[in-house]
Amino acid sequence: MKQNKTSYLVGGSPAALLTLAAAFVMASSADLRAAVGMSVMVIASMLLSAIVMGALGRCIPDGVRLPANLLIITGCVSLIHMLMQAHFPVAVNLLGVYLAALAASPMMVQNAEGDGEAGLGMTVRTALTTALFLATVMIVCALIREALGSASIWGHSIAFLEPVKVPILSGAFGGYLVTAIVMAVINAVAAPRQTEKEEDGK
Amino acid sequence: MSAKVIFGILLAGVLSNNYAMLQFLGTGTVLQNSRPAKQSLVLGLGTTVVMLLCTLITWPINTCVLAQAEYLQTMAFMVVLIAVVELVHALACKVLDGFCHADFVKFGINSAVLGLCIQNTDLGLGEALITALAVGIGFTLVLILYSRLLEEQWDEEAIPAPFRGLPVSLLTAGMIALALMALNF
Repeated sequence: MKQNKTSYLVGGSPAALLTLAAAFVMASSADLRAAVGMSVMVIASMLLSAIVMGALGRCIPDGVRLPANLLIITGCVSLIHMLMQAHFPVAVNLLGVYLAALAASPMMVQNAEGDGEAGLGMTVRTALTTALFLATVMIVCALIREALGSASIWGHSIAFLEPVKVPILSGAFGGYLVTAIVMAVINAVAAPRQTEKEEDGK
Repeated sequence: MSAKVIFGILLAGVLSNNYAMLQFLGTGTVLQNSRPAKQSLVLGLGTTVVMLLCTLITWPINTCVLAQAEYLQTMAFMVVLIAVVELVHALACKVLDGFCHADFVKFGINSAVLGLCIQNTDLGLGEALITALAVGIGFTLVLILYSRLLEEQWDEEAIPAPFRGLPVSLLTAGMIALALMALNF
């Protein structure tokens, strides 16, 4: 049976995934450099942990699967954190505690709950699709928030945006507002396609 | 530490420095929670206990052991967090009926607790414990507030279709965040 593309996401759908990852999207999207840093972190740590979890999946007893997988994820997050500290210190400084806290995010906890029966290929595919989707959302939100909230892109100020900038978009409220609008756009695009697929299925 | 300072830390943790609403730590756990208010209160209090215990354990570990091996901080804190959550879950199951069904292990392991432990390493132990208590109370309040909102009857038809679900939840959270930001003192 052909699977829906969104079933390859942790959580099962864009809305469910963003519910799990909304905090990190909002925390990292005030600045494009932070969003790119967080995207790299999410892609690398999810991919690396998926490979390790997929490879060890059948060796880990079900009773300790969640803590064991969480420790694998934390190890991968720590490793990528150190690499980023060496090669992308600007993003590490901008993100602060969020890079380390990613290890305990609901998205990662959900990921760690995997039953280990999916196999390496499926685990890696799910991780990659999820990470790429989140990276795209983070970067889009960051572009909007940094351009309109700080009148700058990648830390470089843009003179013509200065008179129209809305500083509140750089704060917590801006994070909620922009993420909600981006999510609504995703819903608007995804819902008709979902309905079409369901009708085709019938 | 004077009573004024303690009161200030408590107020800031609950209002102007609310982790779930303003610092985006634990926000996902709050947004994902669809449990009734009473169960949310129990889980919130459980998380507060986890925050206090984790701070009590991780602060000395960080000061005495991790000073020479800072790169192990996240890993060590995560081990402590998992152990404390499992312990609190096992103990609470014996005392509280219904706690076992609440899936506390998945709930208690969240970025608010890990982020708090990491941020508390910059403070003294007393200050860190009061901050943990304040953050826990703030987290519980937001959790209950959200549960109450979900229990209300929403007029779904009044909300444009793409905004139903997560977007309107985020906008509601944004309004709460805006109100809390106004209490920054």
